[in-house]
Amino acid sequence: MRTSNTNHGCSLWQDALQRLLRNRASVLSGIFLILMVLSCFILPLLPCIPNPNATNLEAIAQGSSWQHWLGTDHLGRDMLARVLYGGRISLLVGFAATAVSFILGLFYGMVSGYVGGRMDAWMMRAVDVLFALPFIVVVIVFSLSIEEPCREFTSWVVRYTGWSRDSVAPLLGLVPLFLAIGALGWLTLARIVRTQTLVLREQEYVLAARSLGLGHGSILLRYIAPNLLSPVIVYTTLAVPGIMLTESTLSFIGLGVKAPNSSWGTLIKEGADRMEVAPQLLLYPALFFCLTLLALNFFGDGLRDALDPRSAKD
Amino acid sequence: MMRFLIKRVLQGVFVIFVLETLTFFLVRALPGNPFLGERKLPDHVLEQLNSLYGLDAAAWEQYVRYWKAILLHGDFGPSLVREGVQVSEIIAQAFPVSLLLGSVAMLLAVVVGIPVGMFAAYHRNRLPDTLLMLGAVAGICIPSFVLAPLLGISLGMHVPGLSVAGWDNPLCIVLPSIALGAVNAAYVARLTRSGMLETLSSDFVRTARAKGASPSRILWHHALRSGLLPAVAYLGPAFAALITGSFVVETCFQVPGMGLHFVNATTDRDYFLIQGLVLCYGVLIVLANLSVDILLAWLNPRIRSAE
Repeated sequence: MRTSNTNHGCSLWQDALQRLLRNRASVLSGIFLILMVLSCFILPLLPCIPNPNATNLEAIAQGSSWQHWLGTDHLGRDMLARVLYGGRISLLVGFAATAVSFILGLFYGMVSGYVGGRMDAWMMRAVDVLFALPFIVVVIVFSLSIEEPCREFTSWVVRYTGWSRDSVAPLLGLVPLFLAIGALGWLTLARIVRTQTLVLREQEYVLAARSLGLGHGSILLRYIAPNLLSPVIVYTTLAVPGIMLTESTLSFIGLGVKAPNSSWGTLIKEGADRMEVAPQLLLYPALFFCLTLLALNFFGDGLRDALDPRSAKD
Repeated sequence: MMRFLIKRVLQGVFVIFVLETLTFFLVRALPGNPFLGERKLPDHVLEQLNSLYGLDAAAWEQYVRYWKAILLHGDFGPSLVREGVQVSEIIAQAFPVSLLLGSVAMLLAVVVGIPVGMFAAYHRNRLPDTLLMLGAVAGICIPSFVLAPLLGISLGMHVPGLSVAGWDNPLCIVLPSIALGAVNAAYVARLTRSGMLETLSSDFVRTARAKGASPSRILWHHALRSGLLPAVAYLGPAFAALITGSFVVETCFQVPGMGLHFVNATTDRDYFLIQGLVLCYGVLIVLANLSVDILLAWLNPRIRSAE
């Protein structure tokens, strides 16, 4: 299987990296994603990007100009700044929700597969039931219903840290959304992890670790988890676009990211409402969003082919 | 097969029960209440309203009462926001609309997606394949909430007869169903292509070719059935995607279906309407998964004998 570098040793990860770098589409996507993340998180800090909330009623819905590269919206706000800040929220929610589902799925799947037996059967039945629920419906109801506890949490943070409410509240306002998406997005990952764990726990080195007196916790952490990494990374990368799509869909129908935050989904909604007058308000955020989704998909595919060559499809 | 079916039906009933229970208690934890209008109501009026709709009882008591009303009388309760309207009336009006829109979109996905996938597999790695698959990737990455307004602005405003909003003439269905079906068509096309490619490179196809079967006979007679398996297996998740899409598309085009009602009901905190619609969605999704399972068992003898 390994044709290159047979003379000097080459770890699984180096091997995978080489395969990834040979895949042109995924390298391009990776570069695009890095640029996108950098421009969403770092560019707005520079003075050349205006405040996304500064309105200017004398320059409403303008086209591109040297002053406003992507024009202005219906309140005269700079579109480039709004799209970058929106991307920041979209990416943040996407990655935070993925992290939540990653932790839940990994933990649940490992425990289920490692313990096995009746416990495993019950845990997997529970996953089956959750899997059959209409995902978006439950996410909507769940995210709205944990808004109140999350608001209390915000007040608690403000009280104990002494940070100003205005600086913390917008960020913490995203918590219900990514908790809800993450709390329901871990099911497939749990199944994958469980199947792998079932195989891994029968390995001799696990038996050896047991006989040396290592506890179950350390075995899971030191021997099972590292061997799960490659399928988990692949699946997690492929899950990010879906999660970002869920966030934007919710924001679009007005049940996701709320003011004062705006994500790509809310920008697209605002643009869609005014597309007859100024189509660029819809086109720019839509373009940024679709290209990011595309790059995430290509990068995930490339990663899968690199880490798991057997599953590579043409 | 019979045992398998009974098991799946029982599991489905349990899923619906869990879904409804979850919804019932989560909905009651929502901040705000259905009677928050433009004007804040005086406390005694609120109390009256709560006791009128039985919302002043303990949660579990309401819960038991709710199931009793459904199971014994088929009564989903009243809408809390639209006075004098029953939830069952709203659903009876909205369900056919969403069903029609969803079926047309699903039909579109299958009728476009499967031939495209087969065609691409047949011309593997040549120009038509590359172009079609690029189109499919674009279809996956352009979500319905971008596609819907774009369709509105490009077609809806220039082609006479098509309308951008509403549900008053038969042509109104064209744009919403395209917006709803496109993503699924793209997925179906990709899955059909990869399924067909895998089948076309398998041993029995090589045998068929060796004994001199014509390419079209191999494609239609030998490969099609098992090549379609991945696409058919996707139809279950596709149905869930249809529900998600209907929220967007019905809001966008103002189609008075279940999606629009659900979005409005959650913003208005219309408890009974949310519960009724979620119950409906639960039943639909269980039925969809069940029929996909049956279809898969019919297509794949290995699944049939395993059960």
